[in-house]
Amino acid sequence: MSVFVAVDQIDKVFPLTGGGEYIALKGIDLQIKKGEFVSLIGHSGCGKSTLLNMIAGLDLPTDGIVTLEGQKIKEPGPDRMVIFQNYSLLPWLSVRQNIALAVDEVMGNSSKSERKSVVEEHINLVGLSHAKDKLPGQLSGGMKQRVAIARALAIRPKLLLLDEPFGALDALTRGNLQEQLMQICEQYRITSVMVTHDVDEAVLLSDRIVMLTNGPSSKIGGILEVDIPRPRKRMEVVNHPSYYSLRSEIIYFLNQQKRIKKVRAKKIAVVARHGLEKVNLDLGFVPLTACAPVAVAQEKGFFTKHGLDEVSLVRETSWRGIVDGIEGGYLDAAQMPAGMPTWLTTGGNQNRPLPTVTALTMTRNGNGITLAQKFYEQGVITAAQYKQKLLALDGEKHTLGMVHPSSMHNILLRYWLAAGGIDPDRDVELKTIPPAQMVADLKANTIDGYCVGEPWNLRAAMEGHGFTVATDMEIWQGHPGKVLGVREDWANRYPNTHVALVKALLEAGRYCADTKNHQEIREILASRNYLATKEEYIQLGEPSNYSCNLNEHVEYAHHMFFGDGLNRPSRTEHLWMMTQMARWGHIPFPRNWVEILERVCRVGTFSTASRELELGDLKYRRSPIQLFDGVAFDAEDPIGYLNHLGIERNFTIAEVHLNSPTSVAA
Amino acid sequence: MAVSTPRINKRKNNNAIASFWQKNKHNILPPIIGILGFLIVWEVVAMLPGMRLPGPSSLWTDERTRNLLLYPFYDRGGLDKGLFWQTMASLGRVAQGYSLAAIVGISIGILVGLNPLIDKALDPIFQFLRMVAPLAWVPIALVALQKNQPAAIFVIFITSVWPILINTTEGVKQIPQDYLNVKRVLKLSNKKFFFKILFPSALPYIFTGLRIGIGLSWLAIIAAEIVMSGIVGIGFFIWDAYQQNYISEIILAVIYIGAVGLILDRSIAYIQKLIAPQS
Repeated sequence: MSVFVAVDQIDKVFPLTGGGEYIALKGIDLQIKKGEFVSLIGHSGCGKSTLLNMIAGLDLPTDGIVTLEGQKIKEPGPDRMVIFQNYSLLPWLSVRQNIALAVDEVMGNSSKSERKSVVEEHINLVGLSHAKDKLPGQLSGGMKQRVAIARALAIRPKLLLLDEPFGALDALTRGNLQEQLMQICEQYRITSVMVTHDVDEAVLLSDRIVMLTNGPSSKIGGILEVDIPRPRKRMEVVNHPSYYSLRSEIIYFLNQQKRIKKVRAKKIAVVARHGLEKVNLDLGFVPLTACAPVAVAQEKGFFTKHGLDEVSLVRETSWRGIVDGIEGGYLDAAQMPAGMPTWLTTGGNQNRPLPTVTALTMTRNGNGITLAQKFYEQGVITAAQYKQKLLALDGEKHTLGMVHPSSMHNILLRYWLAAGGIDPDRDVELKTIPPAQMVADLKANTIDGYCVGEPWNLRAAMEGHGFTVATDMEIWQGHPGKVLGVREDWANRYPNTHVALVKALLEAGRYCADTKNHQEIREILASRNYLATKEEYIQLGEPSNYSCNLNEHVEYAHHMFFGDGLNRPSRTEHLWMMTQMARWGHIPFPRNWVEILERVCRVGTFSTASRELELGDLKYRRSPIQLFDGVAFDAEDPIGYLNHLGIERNFTIAEVHLNSPTSVAA
Repeated sequence: MAVSTPRINKRKNNNAIASFWQKNKHNILPPIIGILGFLIVWEVVAMLPGMRLPGPSSLWTDERTRNLLLYPFYDRGGLDKGLFWQTMASLGRVAQGYSLAAIVGISIGILVGLNPLIDKALDPIFQFLRMVAPLAWVPIALVALQKNQPAAIFVIFITSVWPILINTTEGVKQIPQDYLNVKRVLKLSNKKFFFKILFPSALPYIFTGLRIGIGLSWLAIIAAEIVMSGIVGIGFFIWDAYQQNYISEIILAVIYIGAVGLILDRSIAYIQKLIAPQS
């Protein structure tokens, strides 16, 4: 259907009393179809009410235009009736008089009796016939809001604008009114725009939810389509599979905005000390056994040893938090899945190439594929057997969990599935789930299995919910796990800090690799600051030392933290990951892949760090990349390799344009 | 049975009074004790040697005041009139000056409140004139209007118009944005806006102004009459008594003035309750 309301490149600037100006909204673009219900959500002061007022015409944009059915909105009018948060009833007029005031003014052409019947009809519509002669002061908040709704509907607006309509009501009244409003809107096909703070309200009522970023210069941070079918019932929508993912999407967005605001307010002062450009670092990590080097560097003082006095670790629950933290600039550096630097650099994140570099591979291995216990009982212990099972259970939707498109888990899981003849997009569905949530989802039987870092494979096995069907050994022994990632501009601005960070983490890795320290590290990791889990779920040593009553298939992934050829970033490996991400359409394969690899892998920084630590003997491993299926990878011909693979998407090859690297001002 | 019924009723009645007393004695007793205490202290102080101010009992013991107290309605022509007529004369002036002030104050107040430009232009003048004491207006009024009567009314007017005007302006400016939004969204006509929104919304402010105004005008008339000699009115009555050293007459007149002021204030409050109950 054609566009009903169009908000076209709106800017809104308010002059400030002390001179200067405040940019409330910047470049807002929104199209609303007829009959659609759109919610605007965001933090206080993000300009959502301002936007609503501009659609209403109560306020005019500084730049850009708003149109209703192609007509530019220049002033308010009864065709765009507003329902205000505080009802805006006139306290000296009764319910009937309040509605009649609107009806008489707008429908002045109709006869008196007609107008009277319109008023009566709408009083009855909201179920207030018993209170029509009462003054607003004698009504409860919910009744007042019903009067306001009746007044708005009575004049048959083309567009209904609601400014936090239920904000001041108690939960029960709010619920009832939401359903009433929904019914009325559906019945009369009313186009509505609602401003709200309430995430559940937005999901319940809307067809689309527009999320606004924090001001100043708020813009649309994202638009969610709500695919829950109508008519909706308040108690039933929560059972719809999309409900919680939509809800958590909005909450994630709002939390993210809050953090960005906090960072802005903090005005991060750069503290330079000990010849380092910046010693106050925020370092992001996700609680996994693989975060051991980060935790050890903090707890055992390796950061301080190398002059980084003020490192604070920021625990993120998902890799997406790391991506947003690096992009938003509130994380200096982060533990990243191995594929993330190339993924960010080639624009994997919403087609916005963000040059990111890595100078250290922190861990290798440590991942496993877990399938639900029921498969073990049915004798499914290989991908091929799983495929048989999938064929047998035709028609059902099978979901597997992974943690991030750019992580080794995704790449390995897809590779494992594809090698077993399963198309990871068509035969099953891969869903991004935060690592810590995997076991819960497996338990709830919403996923068949997952690929994730430890301790989540071991834990599922020990709790009897699943079993490890493949670990690093079975897929790619010694594959890169987590790397240290920073933005390229950050690395250029703080080169010495970058080296110090690599040194601290490299030393921490050496500490982790020493079996003497394993018990201590397990204790550190199990503590509340890191994984907050039981110690027995965290295993660091040789898998063979560990026994469990679930016989052969309960091996856990073997982490490698330090050693010859382990830590130096390898271009070949990043190239392989790039081909895999291109294979599944996560990124286009960059025609300028050589340039990108040169920029992503900061081998120089690593070499400087290892030389300064006098680890000159750390060799670079040159063994070729070969996975369990035996297909060799030729680093000279990645495109040929891609073409050679069996199951894959139609990958694209494109030039990825990056800004020229910024160099440090002398 | 038939005999006992009235007795029960009577007892009930007694009970009602008793329970009313029980309930309200905390509200009734303290002011009575306070007033009595004040009068006793006054009486004692008045008996101190060298004190020329008579005590409250002199209102009755002094023959002139007793007569004034007993015969408020006598009229021997000229200035020699009972206190009722003196008060009525003053009230009459207040009524004229105050009505004028109310009409002018409310209309200009609405005009100024609706129009920020006029507000900016006139506000300094208002604030300046508001500060001029009523007595300072008397000579100007006498010079300008030549006669006592219109001059007195003018003084009342000029004293009480400012609170009415300024409060009305404020009331109009303070119309909640929500109501203005209702007007804008519904595109209400000016007439409807005035009667359905502006006036009811500003009414509480207007009444606040009216109440302050009535108090001020009553203050002003006394002051004005004291200065404008030779007219019937309670202000001049006091001045006359002072000139002739009838101190207890002054005290009696002051009691009249206080009582009338209180009644005026309460009447406006009562009218406000009738017209604008929700505020």
